[in-house]
Amino acid sequence: MKVCLLYENNERLIGEGYYDQESIIQDLGLKSVFSVSAKDLVYEDGNVKKVEQEDLFLTDALRRVMMVPLRTKEEIVYRQEIVKDFLANEEQVRELYDISRDVVFKWGTLGKIPGEKAKQSNPVTRLTTDIRIIRLLCDSLSRVRHVMEEGWEPSSKGLKNFKKDLSLNFSREREENIRRVLDDISFYTDGSDEEDSGKGRTVKPRIVLESGLEDGLKLSSLKLEEVSSSGTKFYRPGSTMDKIQNFKNSLIPDSFPVVGDVRIAEQTDLLEFGVVSFLVDRIRGFIDEFQSFFTQLKFQSGFYLAAVQLKAQMERFGVGFCYPEVCGNRDMEFADLKELVMAVEQRVVVIGNSCRFDKKDLLIITGANQGGKSTFLRSIGIAQVMMQCGLPVAAARYKSGIFPGIFVHFTRREDSEMNSGRLDEELKRMNGIVENLREDSLLLLNESFATTTEKEGSVIAYDIIKALVEAGVRIFTVTHLLSFARRVHEEMKDDPDSAVEFLSAERKENGVRTYRMIRHEPELTSFGLDLYEEIVEKNVSI
Amino acid sequence: MSEEAKVRAGDFSILDGYDKEMDPLEVPSFYRDLNIIQILDKIEKRWGRSVRRFYRYLPANRETEDYRRSVFSDVKKDPVYGALMKFVADMEEVSQIRGEKEKAVDPLQKAVWLIREIECYCDAYELLGKELGASGLSSEGMQTLRDVIGAYIKSAEYRGMREQTSALLEEIRSMRFVLTYDRDRISVSLGEVPGDGAYEEMVRKAFGGEKKTLSNPFIINPYITEFEKQCLDILKKKKPEFFKKLKAVASANADYRKKVLDRFEKEIVFYLSFRTLELEMEGLGYCFAAPGTEEDAPMRAEGLYDLALAITATADDRDVISNDFIYEEGDRFFVLTGPNQGGKTTFARSLGQLVYFTKIGLDVPARSANVHYFTGLQTHFSVEESIETGRGKLKEELVRLVPMMNERMKTSFVVINELFTTAASYDAIIMGKKVLGHFLGLGCMGIYVTHLKELTDKAEGIVSLRAMLDENGIQTFKISRGEADDVPCAENQVNKYRLTYKQLKERL
Repeated sequence: MKVCLLYENNERLIGEGYYDQESIIQDLGLKSVFSVSAKDLVYEDGNVKKVEQEDLFLTDALRRVMMVPLRTKEEIVYRQEIVKDFLANEEQVRELYDISRDVVFKWGTLGKIPGEKAKQSNPVTRLTTDIRIIRLLCDSLSRVRHVMEEGWEPSSKGLKNFKKDLSLNFSREREENIRRVLDDISFYTDGSDEEDSGKGRTVKPRIVLESGLEDGLKLSSLKLEEVSSSGTKFYRPGSTMDKIQNFKNSLIPDSFPVVGDVRIAEQTDLLEFGVVSFLVDRIRGFIDEFQSFFTQLKFQSGFYLAAVQLKAQMERFGVGFCYPEVCGNRDMEFADLKELVMAVEQRVVVIGNSCRFDKKDLLIITGANQGGKSTFLRSIGIAQVMMQCGLPVAAARYKSGIFPGIFVHFTRREDSEMNSGRLDEELKRMNGIVENLREDSLLLLNESFATTTEKEGSVIAYDIIKALVEAGVRIFTVTHLLSFARRVHEEMKDDPDSAVEFLSAERKENGVRTYRMIRHEPELTSFGLDLYEEIVEKNVSI
Repeated sequence: MSEEAKVRAGDFSILDGYDKEMDPLEVPSFYRDLNIIQILDKIEKRWGRSVRRFYRYLPANRETEDYRRSVFSDVKKDPVYGALMKFVADMEEVSQIRGEKEKAVDPLQKAVWLIREIECYCDAYELLGKELGASGLSSEGMQTLRDVIGAYIKSAEYRGMREQTSALLEEIRSMRFVLTYDRDRISVSLGEVPGDGAYEEMVRKAFGGEKKTLSNPFIINPYITEFEKQCLDILKKKKPEFFKKLKAVASANADYRKKVLDRFEKEIVFYLSFRTLELEMEGLGYCFAAPGTEEDAPMRAEGLYDLALAITATADDRDVISNDFIYEEGDRFFVLTGPNQGGKTTFARSLGQLVYFTKIGLDVPARSANVHYFTGLQTHFSVEESIETGRGKLKEELVRLVPMMNERMKTSFVVINELFTTAASYDAIIMGKKVLGHFLGLGCMGIYVTHLKELTDKAEGIVSLRAMLDENGIQTFKISRGEADDVPCAENQVNKYRLTYKQLKERL
């Protein structure tokens, strides 16, 4: 049975995910999002009392899901609905996760990893392991069914389907059938279970079968008529009661004892083994059917648990959230969009930005340092990645297209020394991006090509960005390359339908930064740069 | 001896003339030269080592060759071949069961295996008899076989054995009993369970899947286990008559096999093994023909090829060249010259194979052929891997030549490949002519491959053949009549095919 909580019809993540995920995670600071989502908050009287340790499985699950974008509005809504269901029923997602984590762990201690062949070479051990796995699956599925059926009514398509599939694939009738066989063959495992020993009782089998004779006079064409287990009083071998018991049994006509003769005892073990493994083989389909169920449930419910915990963290740090909407790729609109990582990491009140771009292909953000440009760019990147995996985002409203290709090309100021090696590395990364561009790509450039002279960097940026935009790539760039920005501005300033938008970090007249982005043409920040720009322009625009 | 008399004497042979007494280890000298070994290696893969000995022995007279040829023509008929192959498979089952019987320790188990062996044996012969009866058989050998089998399965002795064993097996197979394992004891009672396997049916209904039954948990042990023995002991008490009869029938039929048929079973493999190879090779596009044996018509073949080469070549997917030839009236010896690697040896070998397969009564590797009767087949190939050189090699060649030349059979077919390569040409020409003259004088036919064009000098009975080159001087591997040339310098060709030492070192 499939879990299908991430996709309606797919159990595993579709596609390889974003290109150069390491850069996306690093440049957008997503590690903080992963890890904060993996921590449970314990409340007391409405206040956070304790932050639990990070569950590394959740960190990883969230990372893996976030790095593989959804491709359609329907897929996004499918997950969003489930998130809503679980936000209203936190207890349930936690239980689903706990149960499946428990199964995967116990399965592991039985010496098998779900989905893998048994490693034991001893067939008897293998058989008893299988029986225990069947029992474990049966108990756990019944718990999952209980969680799904008691005390709430999911409204999302995904959870409704899951509930329905479960009641079909693990019906009460099926459970009863399995449990009946498990009870009947309990003689095979119960003696070895710790809780059964030392109680003065043993479980003994009763097996009735019909047989014929094969050509070599061996038993053949067996028909299994009866199998059952029953507890009987245990008598110490050789004790008086044991002797009396043996004597009584020996009165059974046309019979022989299975104890006493080593060969017969061994062969009777073989008979028991044969009967039990015959029956377990019939149920093995059950193991096969559910062997990856709990691994998947652990992973998929883990994602939603992380979402639920992330929401709690957002509340804790005063960040609002909304379920983003999908619109055309050239449009974008958001209100009070906040940079989640900064909020989580620095625990400060983060300024939200509101913007609306219609039919824009290129967004150029300029302005003074420390004005919040990079933060703004990151907030869009983070929101876009979160939206594309079905999570809510840190904004009052967020509306955007779907970009299966998100690319980041950030230069971190602190290591942007000017040398050809660094530029070479930048160009190489750009080359990698270009090779992997696909339809509906979004490229976030942060101070790209700042590792060479402004002049050279501008030319490089101009050429690359022009070409990419013409190829249909949406580009949001934060840049100090003013000659580049001016040049673009010169070209588009008389065109009312221009696909370029210029933003700048707002600065009050008294020089105070507001950390808000406003529409603003690129300005020259100093005479020197002005001069430089003119020289550059002359040299470049032939 | 008439066939009937032979049958009575237990001497019927489908090979006729195959001598049981011959030393199976003795390998005829032409065997290696003609690469028969490679052909048999191939056949052995499917049929086992024992089949080789039948190929080693050349029948002593023309009648035997004809006898076999007509048997083989029957064997080649699809229904007959099918029936015989089925029979061989059935007999393999018989020997498997015999193996079980021989392994068994328990006398009861031994007895039952014997009964089962007899059943399988009888089934096989009854089916074969029926199939042969329904097929039109034209050969004396196969007709006799059909009659022998027919008489055998109608005999009172056979019928009695058949009925008794069938009845016993029937009873064993229909015997049902119930084992109840409870309170540390197994009890056994005759009869069936009331629910006809109620538990497994319940499980099947509950969990689906195809019907499958519990198999004997002691199956890996072919012997009767102590557990099973205990069960049998109880059954013996319950059915004493049956077990007594089982013992009696088994001991009365311990030596059930028919001698004359034993021999047939072994010998038939000769024909089947070759037919199987034929079918496989035909599937790859090679052809075979039953050779004509008219003495009045010229000896000839069309599309003759080296079967050994074809067998080894199939893996590399190389084309195997075939050739036509004819010994016109008065022609006795082909003297074949031509460039190295031009297909001379292959042609000589295929000619030898043609005679060989005709002599043992099988088909030949050619599209069509007429082959005369020869009393023997003599070959002499230079031993390339011989460590001897110079005088030593010449000596070795001459030593091997002696018994050949001493074999004063009037009509041997002689294949000689490159004699005296290490001797001075002047000497070699003289020696070669002497050898040729010797065999011509005896009235033998054959082929002599040589690099000495002088040996093609006109003489009675000598025909000059050449391995042909095309207009570019490349080998065509085609052999045809024509005056011998000087062997052209091969430098260019070798270069062209990048086969010089340096080139090969680079390529490998």
